[in-house]
Amino acid sequence: MPAAEPLTVGDARVVAFLGALSARLLSPSVARAHPELGSLGFFLRRAELARTVERIRTTDPHTVRRPRGLVFHVPPANVDTVFVYSWALSALAGNRNVVRLSSRSAGAADAVLAALNAALADADPVIARTQRMITYGRDDAVTAALSAACDLRVLWGGDASVTELRRYPLGPLARDLTFPDRSSFAVLSAAGWLTAAGDAQRAAAEGYANDVYWFDQAACSSPGTLYVIGAPADAEKAVDGFRRELAEAVHRRGWTVDAAMAVEKRVRAYGLAADGRAVGVRFPSNELAWLRLADGAEPARAWLGAGVVAVSRLDSLLDLVPMVGPRDQTVSHFGFTVGQLRPLVEALPGRGVDRIVPFGQALSFAPVWDGHDLLEEFTTRTTIRT
Amino acid sequence: MPIDTLGAPEVFRLAQPAKEERLLPEIVERLAAHRAGCPPYRQIMDALGHRPDRTYRSLEQLPWLPVRMFKTHALKSIPDAAVFKTLTSSGTTGAPSRIFLDQHAAAAQSRMLSRTMQTVLGPHRLPMLLVDTRAILADRRTFSARGAGVLGMMGFGRDHAWALDADGEVDPGTIEAFLRKHGDRPFLIFGFTFMVWLHLYELARDNGWDLGNGVLVHSGGWKRLQDRAVSPGEFRARFTADTGLRRIHNFYGMVEQIGTVFLEGPDGGGLYCPDFADVIVRDPRTWAEQPVGEPGLIELVSALPTSYPGNVLLTEDLGVIRGVDDGAWPGKRFEVLGRLPRAEARGCSDVYAVPAQGRAAL
Repeated sequence: MPAAEPLTVGDARVVAFLGALSARLLSPSVARAHPELGSLGFFLRRAELARTVERIRTTDPHTVRRPRGLVFHVPPANVDTVFVYSWALSALAGNRNVVRLSSRSAGAADAVLAALNAALADADPVIARTQRMITYGRDDAVTAALSAACDLRVLWGGDASVTELRRYPLGPLARDLTFPDRSSFAVLSAAGWLTAAGDAQRAAAEGYANDVYWFDQAACSSPGTLYVIGAPADAEKAVDGFRRELAEAVHRRGWTVDAAMAVEKRVRAYGLAADGRAVGVRFPSNELAWLRLADGAEPARAWLGAGVVAVSRLDSLLDLVPMVGPRDQTVSHFGFTVGQLRPLVEALPGRGVDRIVPFGQALSFAPVWDGHDLLEEFTTRTTIRT
Repeated sequence: MPIDTLGAPEVFRLAQPAKEERLLPEIVERLAAHRAGCPPYRQIMDALGHRPDRTYRSLEQLPWLPVRMFKTHALKSIPDAAVFKTLTSSGTTGAPSRIFLDQHAAAAQSRMLSRTMQTVLGPHRLPMLLVDTRAILADRRTFSARGAGVLGMMGFGRDHAWALDADGEVDPGTIEAFLRKHGDRPFLIFGFTFMVWLHLYELARDNGWDLGNGVLVHSGGWKRLQDRAVSPGEFRARFTADTGLRRIHNFYGMVEQIGTVFLEGPDGGGLYCPDFADVIVRDPRTWAEQPVGEPGLIELVSALPTSYPGNVLLTEDLGVIRGVDDGAWPGKRFEVLGRLPRAEARGCSDVYAVPAQGRAAL
């Protein structure tokens, strides 16, 4: 039996396989049960993948892009889908992949695995030979062997997980790509909100609701604090309007939280009050909690529970500059133009804020994540000089 | 003819209306003192909109704290210099609760616990059979809620005998010797509910031991017995039928309200509240008080805490009020149904999920 062709960057067999997976994730039955898999399905559509590959296809005759080799992925235990994004882009780059899946995987992860296995049945055999999703217990020997063998190790999860896994040596040529603890906040332009049309306000509130219920508002990119930017009177008016729209959006979508989560939210909200950081705490319903932080307060970076908005007011976007730190990842925004947002980014002195997205897209994965261009990271370049 | 012949239940005397009338101003005064003495508590109350001038017309209106606040924050209403004793609850994981007592509070909780227990034990120390192992007290590093509970109860007995040996194996010889020596007069049996059932009930039944003079005091929840399909009613009935033991008192309490113990009455009709405490069951969706018979989250109200703001606590236990002023003792009688699970976040990080905490028994 002749050896199969090794995978290449943007390999057609991988594209076909991911396209088939996308179709399964976008099927009505999956979409109904796990709406959060919809964005994953879109991300993996053929046209989308072609665009993604196109970005790194170089027409320069002196440069050849090649896969990195063997990539070992350790995704977070409790976000159901991150492993797919990380793995899919690495497969698209032509790598052989081993993904360590948590045995604690949740509902949506099981749906993804079912879709993967179904798509694999119709795929080119090269996929099964080069792509592995595995689960194993706390076995140092396995982790050590995979770490020693891989060309790139991709670590997701909390700071503690990353530090723990870094104890296993890599080969001399290999590298780590780490995605440690991050946190995110949102910005709302008071003027932008007050002048927006009703349907734009409704759409923004719906987007924000998705951002604070998907993954229980515990993803790195879920917004915790909402900064309302504007003079006090405008800001109050905008917050009141946004509060009404958000409550309606939550009600329309039928988001709910259970009693355990309702208690959790109170424990955390009361904790912020005890620390003197929340000056107001309101629970109009179990679904939505509103915390008031002092004007100009640091963002609340710890998890607050699902469906919590911690509001603070600032005069100007630039007032964020001294507060932003390397942990801050995503800024969700409404009512600002790129011309207003750029000066904020340009004024930031160090690391911090890797993406700025409209309300509703906080949790949409992108090929550039935490400041890393994943396809760049998953490939190498060979240069030719003649 | 009351089963309990050991005198009047001295802290189970107040009917519900009289109790509420007495407790409300007392607890309102306590909360005002906590507000003055505990800045984090004041900040929570202010953030919630509970200002000092607010009036409360019923216990149900009083602001509650989630019991877990004592794990996440050091809440005390006394100066550091006045702290006489710091109690910690053990959890298998996560931070323990920290409860700060000054000398006055430590004396008061101990006194009220004694008065509560004497309701069923009488004024004198009884010979005591502990359905546990002495080893539970040996290693302070692994000193658990079980150890604290055992230690707290030991003071109510004398001539202690341990039903389990150092390896946790049941020791029939010791139990038989204890019964030979003390079985013809009132004696005290203490243990955690599931251990009493596992280690004592079957052995006593199979050996035909007569526990008729015993007073069994047990605590620690029914979860592990529910798996074996043993209800509180069956627990009592089978002990009585097979060993002659009739005086059986389950109790419920937590370190966050140390000294306040909710005690099963002589009728087995549920847990009763001592005169200085009350229970409210809340609907976990609306947070309104549930009517009798409707399950919800248990809120515990006690006049006892003075050194820390623990008078009104929302627990993470589910329960139901079974009746008011209609049982062996006056006031509300209630049942604990189980624990609310801990919320698990599906975040990217690995710091969120902390398994549910064990509860200290005393």
